[in-house]
Amino acid sequence: MSAPVTDAPGASRTAGEPIVRVRDLRKYFPIKGGGLIRRTVGMVKAVDGVSLDLYPGETLGLVGESGCGKSTTGRAILHLQPATSGSVQFLGQELTSLSRRAMRPLRRQIQIVFQDPYASLNPRLPVFDIVAEPLIIHRLAKGQALRDRVADLLRLVGLNPEHANRYPYEFSGGQRQRIGVARALALDPKVLVLDEPVSALDVSIQAGVVNLLEDLRDRLGLSFLFIAHDLSVVRHTADRVAVMYLGKIMEIADKDELFDRPAHPYTQALLSAIPVPDPNRERQRKRILLEGDLPSPANPPSGCRFRTRCPKYASQLTDTQREQCREQEPALVTRGEHPVACHFAETVQII
Amino acid sequence: MQTISEPTVAPDRADGEPLLQVTDLEVKFGTEDGVVHAVRGVSYSLSPGETLGIVGESGSGKSVTSLAVMGLLPATARITGSVLFRGRELLGRSDRELSQVRGKGIAMIFQDPMTSLNPVYKIGFQIDETLRQHDRSLSRKAARARTVDLLRLVGIPNAAERANSYPHEFSGGMRQRVVIAIAMANEPDVIIADEPTTALDVTVQAQILEVLKTAQQETGAATVLITHDLGVVAGMADRVLVMYAGRPVEVGTVDDIYYSPGMPYTLGLLGSLPRLDARERQRLTPIPGSPPSLISPPPGCPFGPRCPMHLDLCDTAEPPLAIVGPGHQVACVRSAELARPEVSAIDVYAEAAEARPPAVAGPPAVASPALSQPNGSTPTTVEEAQ
Repeated sequence: MSAPVTDAPGASRTAGEPIVRVRDLRKYFPIKGGGLIRRTVGMVKAVDGVSLDLYPGETLGLVGESGCGKSTTGRAILHLQPATSGSVQFLGQELTSLSRRAMRPLRRQIQIVFQDPYASLNPRLPVFDIVAEPLIIHRLAKGQALRDRVADLLRLVGLNPEHANRYPYEFSGGQRQRIGVARALALDPKVLVLDEPVSALDVSIQAGVVNLLEDLRDRLGLSFLFIAHDLSVVRHTADRVAVMYLGKIMEIADKDELFDRPAHPYTQALLSAIPVPDPNRERQRKRILLEGDLPSPANPPSGCRFRTRCPKYASQLTDTQREQCREQEPALVTRGEHPVACHFAETVQII
Repeated sequence: MQTISEPTVAPDRADGEPLLQVTDLEVKFGTEDGVVHAVRGVSYSLSPGETLGIVGESGSGKSVTSLAVMGLLPATARITGSVLFRGRELLGRSDRELSQVRGKGIAMIFQDPMTSLNPVYKIGFQIDETLRQHDRSLSRKAARARTVDLLRLVGIPNAAERANSYPHEFSGGMRQRVVIAIAMANEPDVIIADEPTTALDVTVQAQILEVLKTAQQETGAATVLITHDLGVVAGMADRVLVMYAGRPVEVGTVDDIYYSPGMPYTLGLLGSLPRLDARERQRLTPIPGSPPSLISPPPGCPFGPRCPMHLDLCDTAEPPLAIVGPGHQVACVRSAELARPEVSAIDVYAEAAEARPPAVAGPPAVASPALSQPNGSTPTTVEEAQ
């Protein structure tokens, strides 16, 4: 399965080869019918043709509402859930066709931090065993070297190595998430997929973990795929941002470009929905309210999949323009300054 | 409410009289590990038409406070203090008497729309029930007509048809609309909304906040909005109460709280928020450590161990709420030093870090009270490692 070597839309201005190259990634989950023989009666198109590049040392934010496929994208990139089709290349090597055994050495390079620090740590293992496990599996250290390495990792994430013999329940949410980060860093990966790493934490704790992640990225030269629904956090940490809706990327751009000059009506609505902790600004802001809820990813709307909730489609377009939205799926190509998947993209200042 | 035999205070009191007056509310729970002092003296008053935001981190007692007001805590909770609704004491009343107030006098919107509707009844029935509970003379037909109106008001399309749906047929945002419709059904005087949008996506949150504003306009209800999201409070509240470790540590108008906070904790909360409207990347200022255990809180200011401006004085007694401006109260002995223009968390927390190396940087685990004491371990920070 060789991928066409074309530039992904919204390629960074940073020179160099991407460390992760995703092309037309699809992940469908079958819907089984009831009855004796459980035939597949449909497909939930969780990820439906995603292309992106992750460059060394950068943070790419992947944002969207729940159910848009951002977490599935992250897992399909890691080959934790095999992709239905498409290509994921890590430093030129195709991952989607690898067997579990062949994938194992590459796992050292790409690691993941999960959202829920209460569910992602084994409650029966002390912290030392949790952080040491990847090192033991990959036979990278044992004995004193292993103990030293784990102590280093705990110090690295701001935890006291003396606490290594404690169990996860003895730690607060923020500390548990630091344990999760230490485990992910144990194998010296080049890429971290961060799946909502701070959304389960209180703000005062969240800030500490965000700062830690930024420090680690800069010091260890990591690349982050930062999956989040909180655009404020993404604005803070990311270099580039991709906005997903119903399994597809709607807009991708450098952070400031996206936040200052959003061109897709969905991005605009998303930005306008986020409350700002500033009473004066908040009183003056006008919200773009979206109608209804996310359509079912098993049966996305024809043409542009956002049109059923699009305020522009509803009130600004002419009938012929609407027909184009219904008939023709807008491609994610550069329109104006950056790639947008909308026939009638137009930058609007929201913030 | 009419059925309660006690002499009710004149129904429409003059403006300025609080609708809801909570005084010195304390809640304790007995647990295996000891007595958890979840709420330690909350007082607030709510005037007609006003929106009071209650903010705080998880475990600060904000939800327990509102459940105590509604009389919804389990019988094992020990509640003291006073909750006056229109001049009548609610604490200590029987469930039967409180049922007359709940829904009609004070309505509540819960956080999780997935669990606050009964899954085995159609949503139309659940709203009809609320209406007929408080007005026995209402016919089924009239109740249903009002139900459909309410559903339309909260933005449910095909309201008449959807009234015959079960909750599982609705999305999270739609269910929360139904919950709001139930809360506003009897035109309550007070709506308590406990994290009404926390379980929802931002675009849906924006819709629900609009619906909540509609509900306020339609019913003229005063609102208590409990949330941890300082952005939501900024747009919705008139006054804000900041809670920490079961107590209010700062009360003021929304502008007081955001533009001239008088408590290092409030300042820390604001400083730890990433901003959507931030131009350049500014480092976030986390508050070190974790909230104290409510089982055996240390003497003195509960925020002391995490506070950048901590003095020895702070450990002697817990500072009471003191007035620092019109309607602005702060529980901090050093609030005067924060009363300067353009005060930012970065300045205060950085200055303090220079002046006093943090004693508990590698915060010890909090789950066990025995472990939550600073154990003299060396501070470990990211900067030090490797």
